[in-house]
Amino acid sequence: MKLFIRDQLPLLFLYFVQLFVVTSIYWLDGYHHLTISLYAIFLSTCLLIAYLCYRYWTNRSFYQRLEKPLTSMEDFTSELQRSPLSESLHQLLISQFDHYKRDLHNYKYKLEDHVQFIHQWVHQMKTPISVIHLIIQDEDDVRFRAIGDELDRLKKGLEMVLYTARLDLFEHDFYVETIQLEKMVRSVTSSQKRLFIRKHVFPSIEIPENLTIATDEKWLSFVLTQLITNAVKYTIHENRKVYFRGLKQGRHIILEIQDEGVGIPESDLPRVFEPYFTGENGRHFQESTGMGLHLAKQICEKLGHRIEIESKVGQGTMVRILF
Amino acid sequence: MFKILIVEDDIQLVRLLEKHLHKFNFDTKSIENFETVKAQFEQYDPHLVLLDVNLPKFDGYYWCRQIRTISTCPILFISARDSKMDQVMALENGADDYITKPFDYEIVTAKINSQLRRAYGPYAHSNNERMVIVSGLKLDLERLLLSLEDQTIDLSLTEAKILDELMKKAEKVVSRDRLLEKIWDDQAFVDDNTLNVYVTRVRKKLALLQIHDAIETIRGQGYRFMPNWETKK
Repeated sequence: MKLFIRDQLPLLFLYFVQLFVVTSIYWLDGYHHLTISLYAIFLSTCLLIAYLCYRYWTNRSFYQRLEKPLTSMEDFTSELQRSPLSESLHQLLISQFDHYKRDLHNYKYKLEDHVQFIHQWVHQMKTPISVIHLIIQDEDDVRFRAIGDELDRLKKGLEMVLYTARLDLFEHDFYVETIQLEKMVRSVTSSQKRLFIRKHVFPSIEIPENLTIATDEKWLSFVLTQLITNAVKYTIHENRKVYFRGLKQGRHIILEIQDEGVGIPESDLPRVFEPYFTGENGRHFQESTGMGLHLAKQICEKLGHRIEIESKVGQGTMVRILF
Repeated sequence: MFKILIVEDDIQLVRLLEKHLHKFNFDTKSIENFETVKAQFEQYDPHLVLLDVNLPKFDGYYWCRQIRTISTCPILFISARDSKMDQVMALENGADDYITKPFDYEIVTAKINSQLRRAYGPYAHSNNERMVIVSGLKLDLERLLLSLEDQTIDLSLTEAKILDELMKKAEKVVSRDRLLEKIWDDQAFVDDNTLNVYVTRVRKKLALLQIHDAIETIRGQGYRFMPNWETKK
């Protein structure tokens, strides 16, 4: 309504100026019947009001549409009244919407194609990795051990790519079950045994056997692998431990992973979950991508777990997952 | 002798698997023409099939269903895809188990043996058992026994694993890291001290067979197993 009145203001202005000019000309010409003049003004104003009313009535949905902000894309296409203005607005919106939709779909397909490609590619890379893995498996020589370590890095890199690409399709790709926390931590630490042994850092697991959690095993394993990799990587002294503790606090089951490593400077701590953030430690250690903790946090959020971090420089870092 | 059909399109991987399985007395055949997998299966009539998912022409699921129409023999999938959905797909298409790439030799043999045992009875695999023999010293990994001439002693699983590694590489240095890796399992893991304890125990067990100082410590590197008892005799 407001918009309509604003829109018609120039017309009203023009109309009253015209009225004034016409009556003045008659007045100056010597026509001095005030009542007749007023009557004429009254009649013509009534006509104008009737016209405006008609105009507003036929175009009210057009004005309402313009005044009301859109809440979603689908609002575009809701039906309008049949009047030239609103109809052409309707046509315009529909064609615009179609263009956008086509563009968006194009990008969506491209993105899906890309994710598909990454999947395919990562899985194809696993065959050569398996071959190298088998070739060096029975060798115990400094060179082969070095190849093994590099191979582990490659494997981790590929996993990271795969999980990052999968994250967007998380909803299609998770499966929640009840899992024994202790068993799961043991199997993840075992899968990382080479890492532990190379650095002479060893896990210490203190988790009651009866603690169970509801989660997706594969995603949580990935998170734990990231956390373990960090814990071991930033432990610079030999024969230290990485402690895994499980406890129950109220409704929550908590898993603490504590290392005796270099710790994270307080100034970096609030930002460790940001993507590509490597901070002070990233500059001193190799291959910090800044993605590990970021992914861990994102996955935990999707799984409905909470992740917290505490750290003191020189004393170590503790990551806590609340299930 | 058990016959295993390997349906995998990576030649290197096939070669390594065959070499490994031959060590355990399995007879193997690999597929070269991926259009006639079913016919080759019928012709070879294996006891077990290792089947890759991504194959040229038709995928592994297809061949699994095809094989299932004529046989109930154990089928093990080998695939790089590790999601729950893929594993469920495999099982629904008639597979018995699933191995994800990359894998260890131990996993393959363990899964093959357990499937064979399930399908053909507990004693069926007795011709594949593992023995390591160095200069008359026999290590039986199935029964965890160590024997020299007519004397036999029991070993724990961890002791057997250490001896297996040392005896296989007799006269060569085996690094501490490798031993740690071998004896680390899901249940109990070890640190440097526990390895020392276990090696001491193995030495004591060897002493029961009148073998002394066969395990040499190489400082900073690891251990070396020297078959020194024959020279004494």
